[in-house]
Amino acid sequence: MNGTGQQPELSSVVSAKGLDLTFQTNDGPVHALKDVNLEINKGDFVSFIGPSGCGKTTFLRCIAALETPTGGSLTVNGMTPDEARRKRAYGYVFQAAGLYPWRTIAKNIKLPLEIMGFSRQEQEERVRKVLELVDLAGFGGKFPWQLSGGMQQRASIARALAFDADILLMDEPFGALDEIVRDHLNEQLLALWARTGKTIGFVTHSIPEAVYLSTKIVVMSPRPGRITDVIESPLPRERPLDIRDSKEFIEVAHRVREGLRAGHADD
Amino acid sequence: MQNFAQEMQAAFALVLAGDSELLGIVGLSLRVSLFAVLCAALIGMPLGAALAVGRFPGRRAMVVLVNALMGLPPVVVGLIVYLMLSRSGPLGVLQLLYTPTAMIIAQVVLVTPIIAALTRQVVEMLDAEYAEQMRSLGLSRLATVPVLLWDGRVALLTALLAGFGRAIAEVGAVIIVGGNINHVTRVMTTAIALETSKGNLALALALGAVLIGIAVAVNALVSLLGARSRAEALAHA
Repeated sequence: MNGTGQQPELSSVVSAKGLDLTFQTNDGPVHALKDVNLEINKGDFVSFIGPSGCGKTTFLRCIAALETPTGGSLTVNGMTPDEARRKRAYGYVFQAAGLYPWRTIAKNIKLPLEIMGFSRQEQEERVRKVLELVDLAGFGGKFPWQLSGGMQQRASIARALAFDADILLMDEPFGALDEIVRDHLNEQLLALWARTGKTIGFVTHSIPEAVYLSTKIVVMSPRPGRITDVIESPLPRERPLDIRDSKEFIEVAHRVREGLRAGHADD
Repeated sequence: MQNFAQEMQAAFALVLAGDSELLGIVGLSLRVSLFAVLCAALIGMPLGAALAVGRFPGRRAMVVLVNALMGLPPVVVGLIVYLMLSRSGPLGVLQLLYTPTAMIIAQVVLVTPIIAALTRQVVEMLDAEYAEQMRSLGLSRLATVPVLLWDGRVALLTALLAGFGRAIAEVGAVIIVGGNINHVTRVMTTAIALETSKGNLALALALGAVLIGIAVAVNALVSLLGARSRAEALAHA
C-alpha cells in the first residue's frame, strides 16, 4: 500500500466530544447537532451520510470553523477549529465549485496561494502539480465556463489541495453530477487520497458513494441532528470499481441503509 | 436667426478647427469632472466596501440613505454648496465660491453616493458568493476586502464611469457655485446654456456635439464592460 503504510500510532486529527449546536430561530431552538462524539484519525476517509437536516454539513462546517458549536468540545489537530482555520489546516471543497468566472483555472487555483504570499515560481509549480493530481493538466489556461461540471469540481478540489493542507473537507462535491461522471471522480478521488495520504471528511447523500470511498462511515439522523451509527469499513484500501459487487460491500451498504431507516423510525 | 444647417456647419468647423475657446472650455470640463470623480472614488469606494462587508449598527439605514442620495437633484446640491461657500456661510473664509474648486466640491457631493452605492452592490454580491471560500482560506473579514475589490475591478470601473457621466453632464450645480465665468469656471454645460440664450448657436452646438460624444463614449464603455461581466456571470450560472 502506498503512502499510508507507515501508521505507527493512530493519531487523532479531529476529536468531538458531546458536541452540541443549537440555532435560535423565530420558531424556537433548532438542534442541528446533539451530543456528537467522533474521532477522526490521520489518513482516514470519513463519510457523513444521512437525510437533509441531520447535521452532516453542519458538523463539517464546525470542523472548518464556519459554524461555532454551542456546547461540548471540538479540536482539530489538537487546536480549536478557529486556530486550525487560521493555520490553514484544511482545504474546503464547497457544494458549488465556486470558481471565479473571470479568472482562468490556473488563476483560480493561485488565489489562495496569492493570498498566502507564495512566490510566483512556487505558485506556478504548485498549480502544475495539483492540476496533474486532479487530471486537468493542460487546462490551466481555460476559463471555468469552458469546462464541464465535473471538470469544474475537480478544479475546485485542486484549489483546495494547492496549499497542501493535511485535511480535505468536502461538502457533497459531486452532488450535482450525473452518475457516470461521479463514478469516475470517485475513482480518481480514491487514487488521490492514496497518493497524498490526506485525511478526508466527505459529506454525501449517496450510500454507494459513502461505502465505496470510506474507511469510516458516519450515519446521521435529524431532529435532533445526531450520529446513529459509525461503521469501520472492512473493505481494503485498494478499491477497484467492481468491489461494489462484492459481498462485503453489499453488507456494509445494507448496514448503512438500516442505520438510516432506524434514524427515521421516530418520525 | 440663421438656418439650422448653417449653424451645424459652423459648429463642425469649430470642432474640426480645434477652436481655442472651445478647447479651453472642454479642457476645464474634463479637468473638473475627472478630479471630482477621483475624489468621489477615494471617498465612495471605501465607504461602499465598508457598507458591504461591515456589520455595525445603522448599516441598513446608511445603505438606504446612500441609495437615496444617488438621485440628488443637482440644483439643490448647488444651492447647499453655495450657501456653505458664500461669504457669510460656514466655509466662506476659504473664498472658494465661483472657482473650479467649488464646482469640484459640488460634483463630488453628487457623484460620491453613486460610486458608494454601486461599489456596495458589487462588493456585497462578491462577498455573498465568496465569503466562506475566503474564510476557509484562513482570511479575516477585513482581509477579504482588497481581494474582493481587486476581483470586482471591472464592475467598479463601471461605477466610476457612471459617476463621470453624471459629473460631466451636470449643469444645475456648477452654474450656481461656479458662476459660469469666462475662462475661469465656464464648462461645457454652462457654456451651452449661455451661448444658446445669446444666440451664438454655433459654439453651443459644437460644445453639445463634444458633450454628446463624451457621453456616448462613456456609456458605450459602461455597456461594453457590463456586457462582458454579465456574459461571465451567465456562463458561470
